[in-house]
Amino acid sequence: MKAASISKARAAKAKAAELLGDSKLVNGIGIAREARGYAVKVNLVKAPRDGAVPAEIDGVPVRVEVVGRIKKQPLSTNNSRRRRSA
Amino acid sequence: MNLDSVRNLKASLSETHPMTLALPARKAAPLGIPAGRTKDVERVQPGIALGVAPGAVEGDYRLAVRVQHQGLARSDHVAQLISAARGDADVRFIGRVTKREAWNEDQHRPVRPGISVGHFRITAGTIACFVSRGQRVFILSNNHVLADENQGRRGDEILQPGAYDKGRRPRDVVGLLEKFVRLASGSANAMDCAIASLNKDVEYDPRLPRARRRLSTDLAAPEDASRVEKVGRTTGHTHGRVAAFEVDGVVVEYDIGNLRFDDQIEIAGTRQPFSAGGDSGSLIYTSGDRRPYALLFAGSDAGGPAGRGVTYANPLEPVLRELRVDLLT
Repeated sequence: MKAASISKARAAKAKAAELLGDSKLVNGIGIAREARGYAVKVNLVKAPRDGAVPAEIDGVPVRVEVVGRIKKQPLSTNNSRRRRSA
Repeated sequence: MNLDSVRNLKASLSETHPMTLALPARKAAPLGIPAGRTKDVERVQPGIALGVAPGAVEGDYRLAVRVQHQGLARSDHVAQLISAARGDADVRFIGRVTKREAWNEDQHRPVRPGISVGHFRITAGTIACFVSRGQRVFILSNNHVLADENQGRRGDEILQPGAYDKGRRPRDVVGLLEKFVRLASGSANAMDCAIASLNKDVEYDPRLPRARRRLSTDLAAPEDASRVEKVGRTTGHTHGRVAAFEVDGVVVEYDIGNLRFDDQIEIAGTRQPFSAGGDSGSLIYTSGDRRPYALLFAGSDAGGPAGRGVTYANPLEPVLRELRVDLLT
């Protein structure tokens, strides 16, 4: 499937948010640059069951990646209980 | 060889070939270690390290032989190791291996982008860059670095290096918390940012560290960048590519709870993870033309090349607008 224009990708992203935004599996929906245009990118906390995320929306490809949990980036430290980490 | 065979061979060789371990100084002398009192020589000298290396095809492995001393490179000892592996060995001279440089964690005057900083109650984050309002100059970083996740008050002391890097009050105080954008738990956030004023006796250098190159005065829009770089307190100078932009619904774990962010930028490292703990606050800029691009604030534990995580950052232009400051380059 060919990548889309950025305006089509933005419209498809809005639809993806309607479809998937309430899912606890989803941890971000954005736009990814492809070789010849743009795609919707759906980030997940863990791997989905088959068919949970559509392969395309209105002709715009949907790329899926499991990114897991997202954290502010803490230092690994023994005194983290005493000091907040950054 | 399969993986178990290489592991068994490695274990067996480590027991039967003591020189595959780091060499005691006394045994290393014949290999060209400079003569001297033994107490003046490091107790352990570089020798040969053994490991597992990938083979020519997936699922195939070889004995990794890493030679740390030139005197051993063509020795009978290495030949015996190759023979024991029936030729299935990957031999390389690696020289001395030193502990990782921690330049960015040290105290620096003048202060620079990319070095350790933090509110006195937190561990450490990174100075993004310097910004100004009128004649006043400020450090830019994250709320969770300079303002302790909304807990800081205007006038709180800011340390360089951060407390985790042995920054102490009053010796390492470089400035005072000036302003931060509050992190919201009931609605979507756009940014995690704060500024701290610089004390009058603290000099600053806005150039990128080491290369001493200046950033461009033109900002890059979220959709305009592909290859990017950053200099951070923990992982130093890294390269990455923009994996996604305008990312909504990013849930980030903070000490004050899970917070949602919209309109964020996602970056994947090219050769290694783009960031790690302590890099929070780093400025991300475009490769080549060095246009300021984004403010690093979070990372994931999966995704990206080799599944080692991706990085999240706030687009820079809204950060500067919200804080009502101009970038100093």
